[in-house]
Amino acid sequence: MDDRFFEREYNPYESDASLMESKSRHADFADISVNICGIAMKNPVMAASGTFGFGEEYAGLYDISRLGAVVTKGLTLERRCGNPPPRIYETPAGILNSIGLENPGVEGFIRWEWPRLCRSGIPVIANIDGDNANDYYRMARRLSELDGLAAIEANISCPNVEKGGMAFGQHPESAYEAIKAVREGTNLPVIAKLSPNVTDIRQIAEAAVNAGADAISLINTLQGMAIDIHKKKPVFHRTFAGLSGPAVKPVALRMVWEVFEAVRVPIIGMGGIASWQDAVEFMLAGASAVAVGTANFIDPFAPLKIISGLKKYLIGQGIRALNEIIGSAH
Amino acid sequence: MSLFCGSVKIIDNVEIAPGIFRMGLECPEAAESASPGQFLQIRCFEGLAPLLRRPISIAAADKDSGMIEIIYRVVGEGTGILARKTKKDMLDIMGPLGKGFPVPRGLRRPVIVGGGIGVAPLLFLAKSLKENSSRDSYGRESDFCGLAFVGFSSGEEVFGMQFLEDCCFNVEICTDDGSEGHKGFPTDLLEEYLKHIMPIPASNRENAKSAGDSECTSASSAILPEAVYACGPEPLLKKVKQIASMTKIPTYISVEQRMACGVGACLGCAVKSSGGGYLRACRDGPVFEAHQLIL
Repeated sequence: MDDRFFEREYNPYESDASLMESKSRHADFADISVNICGIAMKNPVMAASGTFGFGEEYAGLYDISRLGAVVTKGLTLERRCGNPPPRIYETPAGILNSIGLENPGVEGFIRWEWPRLCRSGIPVIANIDGDNANDYYRMARRLSELDGLAAIEANISCPNVEKGGMAFGQHPESAYEAIKAVREGTNLPVIAKLSPNVTDIRQIAEAAVNAGADAISLINTLQGMAIDIHKKKPVFHRTFAGLSGPAVKPVALRMVWEVFEAVRVPIIGMGGIASWQDAVEFMLAGASAVAVGTANFIDPFAPLKIISGLKKYLIGQGIRALNEIIGSAH
Repeated sequence: MSLFCGSVKIIDNVEIAPGIFRMGLECPEAAESASPGQFLQIRCFEGLAPLLRRPISIAAADKDSGMIEIIYRVVGEGTGILARKTKKDMLDIMGPLGKGFPVPRGLRRPVIVGGGIGVAPLLFLAKSLKENSSRDSYGRESDFCGLAFVGFSSGEEVFGMQFLEDCCFNVEICTDDGSEGHKGFPTDLLEEYLKHIMPIPASNRENAKSAGDSECTSASSAILPEAVYACGPEPLLKKVKQIASMTKIPTYISVEQRMACGVGACLGCAVKSSGGGYLRACRDGPVFEAHQLIL
């Protein structure tokens, strides 16, 4: 139920002033468990889709069941090979990526990844991405047959594919259509993952909720690009790519803030979260949980440090439960 | 768990050729399990820019002393910061990562082909090949004598040659400008050597494999190389792969690709697979059998 024992191994921010302060406070326990539309998580820190594979890759470093939940790499109906390299390009405090949804397909996932994942002792959220509404429906339906899957995250925001993906997430009507299809295909909680590449994120969030989304995830990557000055050509084959990492955090935070004011469903905040301080900001802005993405690449222990930092922050503030701070900056 | 991630002490960081540094690290965990061809993901900077870790191959690992060594070239911001680190500084590393070179017991004539900074992992490999050669699979003492064809842009860039010789490798150096050794590429030397040792007409090349298997000697009555190992720039690997396809000698190449996570999670470091789709340089490689990839 809590992970206070894990703190010993990591000394992330021992010297941080706000934590030193905590030693003099009375509280020594804070409840950081959360329940997001029926997904019971022992802490609010998830691994973001596409940055954690199917959970196996980081299992050599720590027990992944210490996380609140894991979101799978984006799945499509059929297996996909992804985009030709280069797929990664470093930018100041960020990364551009153009992976292109390389994945084993829903059936491949069920056959090769799920048997192991379902025993990991942690809520698993399947991220799905369709070319059309019917894809979303069929994937949601098929995945609902799995015993123990915690939720479906409908990715209507991938910027790196030919069809579907972000195109769904850029208009309220198409967002509604995609989420509606997922909703019709499953009784599991449905999370809509939104794209930041829109004029008004609130309209998209509202459409997703109207279509039956139980929660909102945001943000996916911001569309960007890079040019090779020697070849005088774009770095990426698809010209545009998705920007993630600490560079996008202020944008993500603003969007969580906006969506919190627009809809009533829980928000899973993500976009450049690399420290517990970042996570606290997102929660104060209205996120009930957070997902760590790019930061995993820089410091694989980042999610664990965030969990322990969050807890220490609450204790230091004399706050007994995480719920008390969600959206409290408004 | 054999994967280490954490802060380790820098023992030394020395410029061994212009822009090329050798860094010693104290990391018993990584030294214990490291094999040639594997790499470390190194966080050069504690802040957020440059953000990503840098994959750098392991040039030496010693279980007894717990030391691990990397040799790297300064190519940009990250490695620039790395070059300015000094003795006793701490460094955040993750590793050993990836699939390395196979090092079977009892090889007698392995051939390594390296270009520039690609020579670094081959030093570790050469040592392991030598150590594993002392007895063959029947327990006989072997007459180990490896061959190393290495290329650099110029003579002043050359490093590691004494080390290779100490590992019982005959070393032939090439430079792009001819300032040391042969003028040209190490793959030219590889090709020449193979032509000399296995003078088989193109039409009979299928037979080369069986000749190798039975350890029959060719016209030159020399022992045929049992394996070819290569690391270097892409044109070098392409050429090695092309040569490999003609000789049937097992050939292993170590590739480089832009990388983010280093553990196989992000799918950023894709390399084209000859079986369709992509493989991950970080987890399925960086060492592949030459025929596995489309270069």
